[in-house]
Amino acid sequence: MNSRRDFLKQMSGAAMMIGAAPLLISRAVPVPQSGTIEIPGEDGMIVRSFRFLDLETPVEYLNTWLTPVPHFFVRNHMHEPSQLDPDGWRLTVGGEVDKPLTLTLSELAKLESHSIVNTLECAGNGRALQRPQVPGIQWGKGAVSTARFSGPRLRDVLQRAGIKPTGKHVMFRGLDEIPGKVPPFIRSIPIEKALDADTLIATHMNGAPLTKHHGFPARALVPGWIGAASCKWLTEIKVLESEFAGNFMSPGYRFPNQPVQPGDTVKPEDTHPLTALNVKSVISGPLDGASLKAGKIAVQGAAWAGEASIVKVEVSTDGGARWNPVSLGREQAHYAWRLWTYDWRAKGGDYTILSRATDSQGRTQPAIAAWNPSGYLYNAVDQVKIHVA
Amino acid sequence: MWGQPPSAVRSGTARLSAMLLTLAITSIILAALSPIATFAQNPVPVKVTEDLPPGSMQAKATTSCLECHEARIILQQRLSKGAWAKEVDKMVKWGAVVDANDRDALIDYLSTNFSPDRPLYEPPRTWIGKTAEKAPSTSSAAGKSK
Repeated sequence: MNSRRDFLKQMSGAAMMIGAAPLLISRAVPVPQSGTIEIPGEDGMIVRSFRFLDLETPVEYLNTWLTPVPHFFVRNHMHEPSQLDPDGWRLTVGGEVDKPLTLTLSELAKLESHSIVNTLECAGNGRALQRPQVPGIQWGKGAVSTARFSGPRLRDVLQRAGIKPTGKHVMFRGLDEIPGKVPPFIRSIPIEKALDADTLIATHMNGAPLTKHHGFPARALVPGWIGAASCKWLTEIKVLESEFAGNFMSPGYRFPNQPVQPGDTVKPEDTHPLTALNVKSVISGPLDGASLKAGKIAVQGAAWAGEASIVKVEVSTDGGARWNPVSLGREQAHYAWRLWTYDWRAKGGDYTILSRATDSQGRTQPAIAAWNPSGYLYNAVDQVKIHVA
Repeated sequence: MWGQPPSAVRSGTARLSAMLLTLAITSIILAALSPIATFAQNPVPVKVTEDLPPGSMQAKATTSCLECHEARIILQQRLSKGAWAKEVDKMVKWGAVVDANDRDALIDYLSTNFSPDRPLYEPPRTWIGKTAEKAPSTSSAAGKSK
């Protein structure tokens, strides 16, 4: 476990290193009022928390089909592992299997690798937009990003171990360091999703080995599902007879079975575990509060729907009275967002611009998201207010 | 001098050079003297981790809460007193050391400073380094993933 003293020592070292770094004060970077922090490899990210690390992608970066790793949101529930030695790293596979396994990183690398472009979204993305507000990291719109994840299929590893007929769920445990008496961040997924050809033990992201913040050397990648399913710093896979019983399966990461009134409490027995993501779109530009010149303005953004596909995105420039179809981007993959653009010829005035996505399951973003006590799966129609002169 | 606005920095090459030199020396001295990480690269400095606001419970809240996480996780919440009570009790169950006699005062301190009517917390951003703006190629496997 990482002690407070170790942590302070590391921070002191970081401060020394940064103090001696070259000065680049003239760089034309928009600096928010509250200042900036240097975290190597993480660029222009909103710091929701430094310790433990939670970084949100600003909406203006949600404008590329693959998110560069320095702009890919980071969600940690605990402290990152203080020691990560790729040679000493082991992945164990046990529980309801015939032949428990222990794999090294080089053994894992010998298995056939697959790539999945996946939009990863934290279940709590948009929590800050719920009213009344609820406790948790106050994510705005950017706890979502897309990358090409590569690595062996989880099912290839599970089949090598031989799943017993009693094996119905698959549990992941990572190497994150747990402070105090906090319950460990352990969750499970049903065996059907674990055996899906697209569920991976990912070792690479956008063609490069995972960085530490994204789970080096290996993470689960459960495509189309809430980010919490895709356990980082993976070190143990265990096949279970039933869903893992722990805080992050219940009461954590559950959604009310029935709509609830904002502010209501919900009994645990009236909830179910979160799995796939909602239909959702976000406007990456123009930015909220922007002042723009009259003429051609490109309204753009991204839209995603978990395991479903986006079938249309519409934009309104008059607060929702009329909706206009957008052009969807060329790049697509089953679990990846679609970029979209609406070319708008704007006259002077104040505007509320809205975006609304519809998916292949017939789901459409609602005007008001379903409030729930933990602020999960927020997916109301997105909006920005701009001035055109 | 840490708070020089960008406009002052841009006002002249000579002044800029002098300021950069002063900043460089100051930053090295400060870094050597203090474990508090403030960053010389930016015209607006910010501490890596924040402090809790002043008040009679500041010291006790710092000891109880910040052992496991930094203050920003608290500073960004906007919760009713009832919701703060639930959070405090959950954290005590998870290992936060709070004297039973201090529980109510701690809840008062949190719900006074971080109530729903307070302005939203404005978080800092990470500094933009050399790796920014390089979008990976999307040409190779688009549409082929499934």
